[in-house]
Amino acid sequence: VDELQSGEETSFVVDEVSNIIKEAVESAIVGNAYQHSKVNQWTTNVVEQTLSQLTKLGKPFTYIMTCVIMQKNGAGLHRASSCFWDSSSDGNCTVRWENKTMYCIVSAFGLPI
Amino acid sequence: MTFNAEEAHNIVKDCIEKILSKADYSHDKVNQWTAAIVEQCLTHLVKLGKTYKYIVTCAVMQKSGAGLHTASSCFWDTTTDGTCTVRWENRTMNCVVNVFAIAIIL
Repeated sequence: VDELQSGEETSFVVDEVSNIIKEAVESAIVGNAYQHSKVNQWTTNVVEQTLSQLTKLGKPFTYIMTCVIMQKNGAGLHRASSCFWDSSSDGNCTVRWENKTMYCIVSAFGLPI
Repeated sequence: MTFNAEEAHNIVKDCIEKILSKADYSHDKVNQWTAAIVEQCLTHLVKLGKTYKYIVTCAVMQKSGAGLHTASSCFWDTTTDGTCTVRWENRTMNCVVNVFAIAIIL
């Protein structure tokens, strides 16, 4: 009975994840202009930082993070995702960010183990 | 049970070709295309009948010289879960589809 009342959440909390993503994006790319030589490093930093903050939450989840950074030059970009999972426990969260020279789209998917 | 990436790769490639191969980038239709690609890929993957949860993402970008970078990071069971990425292009657009498969442990 004690274990059931421990209060550990096993559902995906969108707001919490959204804040973690925003912090990671801000620390990795805010203040920078699109630079071909650095973008690889930025996308990697964003996904790795977000993933390590999410795992620090200590919840028994499997996580998938994706990050897209695109230079602004008038081109159109569309993203879609479709998931086959348990909609009562699994969840996702997408954060869109932009500055004068680039767009950044980060998606997080969480599935409890 | 391990994820068969090659099988998934073929499924995704066929879906993209069916939907985009004869088309030119069109702002009005792109929404429809990305939705159709993810839904069809998902349907075919589920039809394989394996006990997996799937996440399929698709990005379609107009070719105009802009740079695009994507990265993904996963915290999962590396023995049973897996991923597959298919990149495709034609004269007017680029398409990148990611499939993530997570085994369902019963």
